[in-house]
Amino acid sequence: MFFHIVLERNMQLHPRHFGRNLRENLVSKLMKDVEGTCSGRHGFVVAITGIENVGKGLIRDGTGFVTFPVKYQCVVFRPFKGEILEAVVTMVNKMGFFAEAGPVQIFVSNHLIPDDMEFQSGDMPNYTTSDGSVKIQKDSEVRLKIIGTRVDATEIFCIGTIKDDFLGVINDPAAA
Amino acid sequence: MSGEEEENAAELKIGDEFLKAKCLMNCEVALILEHKYEQLQQMSDDAGNHVSQVFEKSQQYVKRFSRYKNPDAVRQVREILSRYQLAEFELCVLGNLCPETVEEAIAMVPSIKTKGRAHDDEAIEKMLNDLSLIKKFE
Repeated sequence: MFFHIVLERNMQLHPRHFGRNLRENLVSKLMKDVEGTCSGRHGFVVAITGIENVGKGLIRDGTGFVTFPVKYQCVVFRPFKGEILEAVVTMVNKMGFFAEAGPVQIFVSNHLIPDDMEFQSGDMPNYTTSDGSVKIQKDSEVRLKIIGTRVDATEIFCIGTIKDDFLGVINDPAAA
Repeated sequence: MSGEEEENAAELKIGDEFLKAKCLMNCEVALILEHKYEQLQQMSDDAGNHVSQVFEKSQQYVKRFSRYKNPDAVRQVREILSRYQLAEFELCVLGNLCPETVEEAIAMVPSIKTKGRAHDDEAIEKMLNDLSLIKKFE
């Protein structure tokens, strides 16, 4: 789920950046440092939308660098256990399939795919129902429920299920 | 890892910080990212060089999974859903998934039934009807 939140960060600036463009330099360094990063607490920082406040700079003893506490608004993507969302299938194999929702990758194991769907290997590996009416393959759009999240240094990884009611391939009536 | 033991979006257990935060529907994020992308294009000469992979993937995702494209429609959706006592998170899940029946809505957002806010089936049905009207006239 996407959220619009306020975060705070201490930015260190080298004196060569001082002068008329101090604030601009601070903001562009902030964007470079923070956009695209991920934390377990806030999820992925997708984009910084504004600066709320820049505090007074503090000169660091011994180095001459100055630290500014910056409060900024940003859009983050944070998946939650129990959340239901839509995703695009990126890879299918006999263990299950991988899907992507924005910056997050989700794995759905074959144990959490309805029993009436079977894996078919080939050029375009897929899961299909016995009557062939529903198919999950690369680029299919699916609605899934996140049942677990794992955070490592640079990203969040999720596992999901499509075994509950109203989950599975999204049928677009316009395409039918 | 702290905070993970009880997390469960189905029961709206997503932590105080996110419960109180402003939640965004995919269609709203699409407008924000589009605007930001245009700003970046205007500011620099080498287009496309300044966005992270996270930004690009997110932008592609919200463009693909936005139910409403027109900014006025997006605003109307939020306005209509805000009339019902919903948490921000619940509002956005409904706006993103656009359930068609009351049964589906409850399956997508189980917490609307369990939080003691008296969301009876009639109220939920009216809300879904209002939502689908916007889609028709978008």
